[in-house]
Amino acid sequence: MNSETTKNDSFEPKIIAFVCNWCTYLGADLAGTNRLEYPANIRIIRLPCTGRIDFNLIVKAFEIGADAVLVSGCHPGDCHYTAGNFHARRRWGLFRELLQTVGVDMQRVNFSWISAAEGAKFQKLVTEIVEKTRQLGPYTAYHDVVEKA
Amino acid sequence: MAKIGVFTCWCGENIARNVDVEKVSEAIKNLPGVACSMNYKYMCSEPGQSLIASQIKELGLTGVVVASCSPHMHLKTFRKTCETAGINPYLIEMANIREQCSWVHPDKEIATAKAIELIHMAVEKVRRNHALAPIKVPVTKRALVIGAGVAGIQAALDIAAGGVEVIVVEKEPSVGGKMAGLSETFPTLDCSQCILTPRMVEVGQHPNIKLMTYSEVEKVDGFVGNFKVTIRKKARYVDINKCTGCGSCWNACPLKGKIPNAFDYNLGNRGAIYIPFPQAVPARPTIDAENCMRIKSMAKGKELCGICSKKCQTEAINFHDKDEFVEVEVGAIVAATGYQLYSIKKEQENPNIKGYGEYGYGKYKDVVDSLQFERLISASGPTGGEPQRPSDHEVPKTVVFIQCVGSRDNAKGISYCSKICCMYTAKHTMLFKHKVHDGQAHVFYMDIRSGGKMYDEFVRRAIEQDGAQYHRGRVSKIEEIVVDGKKKLRCYGADTLAGQPCVVDADMVVLAGAIMPSSGVTSLAQKLSVGYNEYGFLSESHPKLRPVETNAAGVFVCGACQGPKDIPETVAQASAAAGKALIMLSQPMLTREPEIAKVDENLCAACGACVKACPYQAISKEQVLDRRGNLIKMTSRVNQGLCMGCGTCVAVCPSKSIDLIGFTDDQVYAQIEALCE
Amino acid sequence: MENELRNAIRELLTQKQVDVVIGYGKVGVDGAIGALFITDPSEVDAMVWNDECRQNLAVHLTRPEVKALGKAAIVVKPCDARAIVVLANEAQIDRDNLVVISAPCTGVKKADASGHKTDELEKKCLSCVEHVPQNVDVVVGATDAAQALDAQNQEVAQNRSAGHQTRLAELRAKSPEERFDFWKKEFDRCIRCYACRQNCPLCYCRRCVADKNRPVRIDSSASLKGNFAWNILRAFHLAGRCIGCGACANACPAGIELDLLNLTLANAAQDQFGYVSGKTLGEAPLIGTYDTTDKEEFIR
Repeated sequence: MNSETTKNDSFEPKIIAFVCNWCTYLGADLAGTNRLEYPANIRIIRLPCTGRIDFNLIVKAFEIGADAVLVSGCHPGDCHYTAGNFHARRRWGLFRELLQTVGVDMQRVNFSWISAAEGAKFQKLVTEIVEKTRQLGPYTAYHDVVEKA
Repeated sequence: MAKIGVFTCWCGENIARNVDVEKVSEAIKNLPGVACSMNYKYMCSEPGQSLIASQIKELGLTGVVVASCSPHMHLKTFRKTCETAGINPYLIEMANIREQCSWVHPDKEIATAKAIELIHMAVEKVRRNHALAPIKVPVTKRALVIGAGVAGIQAALDIAAGGVEVIVVEKEPSVGGKMAGLSETFPTLDCSQCILTPRMVEVGQHPNIKLMTYSEVEKVDGFVGNFKVTIRKKARYVDINKCTGCGSCWNACPLKGKIPNAFDYNLGNRGAIYIPFPQAVPARPTIDAENCMRIKSMAKGKELCGICSKKCQTEAINFHDKDEFVEVEVGAIVAATGYQLYSIKKEQENPNIKGYGEYGYGKYKDVVDSLQFERLISASGPTGGEPQRPSDHEVPKTVVFIQCVGSRDNAKGISYCSKICCMYTAKHTMLFKHKVHDGQAHVFYMDIRSGGKMYDEFVRRAIEQDGAQYHRGRVSKIEEIVVDGKKKLRCYGADTLAGQPCVVDADMVVLAGAIMPSSGVTSLAQKLSVGYNEYGFLSESHPKLRPVETNAAGVFVCGACQGPKDIPETVAQASAAAGKALIMLSQPMLTREPEIAKVDENLCAACGACVKACPYQAISKEQVLDRRGNLIKMTSRVNQGLCMGCGTCVAVCPSKSIDLIGFTDDQVYAQIEALCE
Repeated sequence: MENELRNAIRELLTQKQVDVVIGYGKVGVDGAIGALFITDPSEVDAMVWNDECRQNLAVHLTRPEVKALGKAAIVVKPCDARAIVVLANEAQIDRDNLVVISAPCTGVKKADASGHKTDELEKKCLSCVEHVPQNVDVVVGATDAAQALDAQNQEVAQNRSAGHQTRLAELRAKSPEERFDFWKKEFDRCIRCYACRQNCPLCYCRRCVADKNRPVRIDSSASLKGNFAWNILRAFHLAGRCIGCGACANACPAGIELDLLNLTLANAAQDQFGYVSGKTLGEAPLIGTYDTTDKEEFIR
C-alpha cells in the first residue's frame, strides 16, 4: 500500500462528471456558495437530465484519459422531468453488468443521487472519489488501449 | 470561421482572489477560433455587458463565452446581452468558474488551471451552438373544465369572469357534484345548497360558459394551447333546449318513487324520467334507459308506456336519442373530477384494497356511510332533514360514528389521511344533536385532525356544547342484535385512553369512509397524459411550487381529484387553476424554449424507443409521405408544443437519430474532447 | 419433418397466401446452409430443415429488398422466433402480414472453422429450453421430443450451468484485470467488418451510430480503442432486446465470443428486472420503460 501511495504522489486523477442541470449541478453550486472545498480534479459536464446521459459518454470519458467517472442526478421522485432519472437508473443497472464482464474497473465508475440541497454530499463524494482514484492510480489499463490506436 | 469572444469575470474578489484572471485570458487567447479574450471586474454589470456587446459588434463575434458564475445565476442576463448586441441569444455558453471553481479551490494555481479547462470546454461547446428561435405555439382562447362540482364550478366561473370562453363537462345530469348533496358545512354550519346553488345557476347562465351535462370526455388530442377534445354527450332522451323543466313528465312517470336515486345514495327514490334533485342545473330531466318501460320495450319491438312523452307540451322527449360526439378545440384544460367514498364493503374492485366485512356495511341497513348520512340530515334529502334510520324509518337515539374507515389503514391498503372526516364527523354529531335533542352521538377516532381556521374550536363545540362522546379507539366488530323487540347495532369498540373495552348499542352507525378519486379518473388521466398515484389521485407538477399544474403542459388540476381536501381548499385551488389557465390563455402565442429534441427523420428507424421513454408523450410515430401522399417510411416526430427538453429520448435512441438541441451529441462530445490533454 | 415443412410451404405458395418464403436451403458453393428465397411452388423441394440450420433468418425480414418481394412466410427455429416478436414489438415488421412457420427443434450442430458440421451441439443449445415453437403461425411436426429436451434442460437453464453460460461464469470468476486482458486479446482481432451487425436480426438501424461522423462517437478504425467502444456499444444496444441466437458470434470471422457480452445483459435483464426479451407480443421494451422500484443499491 505504501509503495502504491508513494508511486502516485504526483498523480492528479482526472475525473469527469456528467450531472443533471436541476439537482446535482445545483448541489455543486451550493457547495460553492457554502465554500465547501474539494479537490479540483473534477470536470463537470452539465446536461439537462440524467435521462440524457448516454452510456457511451462514459466510454468516451475513459477514452480521453479520465481515471474515474461520476454520473449523478436527482433522487428518485425528484426529477425535474418526472422520470428521466428512473430511465437512467435502469440503463445504469444493465450497463454496469456489461462493464463488469468487459473487466472495466468498477471502482472508477460512480453513480449517485445528489439533490440541489446536498452541497455537502457533493463535496464529500467528490473528495472520496478523488482520494480513491489517487490510490488506484491512473487508469492505465484503459488508457493503454487508447494509446495503441 | 468561428469568432468566439471569451469574457472572464473577476466577480470582484470572488473569482479573482483564487483565479488568476489575467493568466486565464492569456491562455484562452491562443485557442483556435477565439477572437478576443478579456476580463473585467463585474461582467454582469452595465459596463461589463457593454464590453461584451461592443466586442460582438466590433469583431462580429459568432459565439460568446462568459466565464463567471453559475449559468443558473446569469445565463438569462447574458443571453439578453447577446440579443441586444445583435446576435442570437443561444450563441452563448457560460463557464462556471465561481461556484464550481474559485469558491471551492483555494489554491490559486490549481484553480486557475481548472478555470482554463472549464473555459476551453465552453469554447468547444459554443463553437457548435446554433442560432435558435423560441418556439411559438398558437393558443385557442377557450378552456375546458372537466367536472362541475364545487371545484369545476369555481374554476369555470373564474375563467369566464376573465373573459374567456369555457366548456364545462359534467358526467351527471346536473352540476353541483358532491357538495350539492351535503347538509350543512363546517365550521360555520351554513347550508351547503344555500351557498352552492347560486353558483350553480350562474354556471348555467353565464354567457361565457357552455355547459355540457350528462357528458364525458372521450378523447384528447393535441397539446398545450391546441387541444382537440372529443366529448361524448350521453343519450338523455330529452332535448334540453325544447324542455321547459315544467315537471309534467317526471310527475307522471308510473315508476315515480320506485327507482333508487343515486344522488341520494339510494336512500331516496325517483322515476325513470327524473331530475336528480329539485335545484338541478340544468333543471331538465333525464330518462334512465335501463329502467324506462318504453325504451326497454322498444328493444322488443313494442311501444309501451310513453306517458311522459304524451304529457310533454313541447315535444322534448325523444325515445330514439343516441350518444352524440362533439369535438371542441380548447387551449387549456382543468381537471376537477372530484372524489367518491371508498366502498367499505368486503368486496373491492381494486385488488390492492381490502374492505371491512366486520362493519356489516351493505349487510345491515342501518350502517351507512357519511355521504348517506349527509342526505339523511339534509333539509332537501329523502327524509326532509329528519334523521331516520333506513331499516324502519325510526329516529335513532344513539348513533355511533366511526372515523378512519379505510384511511390511514395500511392493512386495508390505504395509507393516507382523508383529511375532512374529523371535521365532518364533528359536524354530524352536532347536527344530529340539534335535530334529536335527546340523542347521543358516540365517535370512535384514531386522532382528531382539526387544523384550520376555527376548526379545532368547532370540534371542541361538538364535544363540550353538544355532548358528543369521543372514544379514542377502533371498533373491531358490529353485530345486529334485538333488544326489547328493537333492532340495535352492537359496536365492540375500545377506549384506549380509558384502557378498557367500550361497547355501545347503537340505533345507527355512520362510517367515515376514505376519500378516493372518482371512478374513471385513471382512464381520463391517461387521455390527458397526466400522472396519477397508486390510488388514482392526479399528480401535480411540483408539490410546492407548481401545485395546480401537471406535467402535461396546459392541463391543470384542482379539488379532490388531486388529493383529499375540504371545500375552502378546493375553492382556493380551483381559483388558482383558473388563474393559471387564464395566464396561459391571455397570451397571443405561447413561447417555448427551443432547446428541445429533434429527429433526423431520414435516419430514424421508427423503433419507438423514444416514444415509450418520453415522460411527456411528446414523441409520436408519424408517416413520412412523398409529394403525392405515398408512404415513404415511418418516423418518430417531436411535438414542439410538448417537449420539455430532458433528452431521455436521445439516450435510448440506438442510432442517435434524435438529438437534443442545445445539448447535442456534437456539443457534448466536443466538451469531453476538450479535456483530452 | 422436412417434408411436412415443404408441404406446408408449398400450400402457402400455391394458394397464393404469400408471395415469398424465406427458408433454409443449400446455398453455399460447398453446400453450406443459408437463406433460400422461394416464390415458385415447384422449387420448394430445395428447402431443407436439419441440424445445420444455424442461421437466424429473421435478419432478412427488415431488409427493404426482401420487403419489396411482397407478403412473406419465414421458416424459423423456435428460439429464433423470439427475434420476430421483438421486431414486431419494435414496429419493424407487420406481424399480421407475415406467416411464421416453425417446427420443433432438437438443437443445431456447431460448424468447424471451415464451415463443416461437427458432432457437437451449439453452445446455446446445451441450455436451451425453447425447443417447442411459440408465437408462430404454423407448427409442423410432433413436439414430444422437443418437449422432452426442454424438460431435460430445465435445470441447467435455471442454474446457468451449461454451454455459453458456463463460459460466461468462468470469465466472470476471473479478476477484472484478467477479464480486461481477455477482451483486449479478443478485440485485438476485430477487423471492424461489422459482420456481427449485418447478421444480427435486431441491428436494423438505417444508419448505425458507428457510421455517423458528427460527432465521431466511436473511433472507426480497427484500433483497440475503437474496438472496445464498438463492441461495448453493440452489446448495449441489444440490452433487453437480444434473443441470444448467437448470429453475431457465428458470423465473426475473428471468432470473438461476442455472445458472452449479450448473454451478460440478458442475464442482467432477467436478474434485475425479471425481463426476457421476445417472449410476448405487444410487450413494452426493457429500456424505455422503468419501475419506481428498480434496484439502485449501486447508486450512492
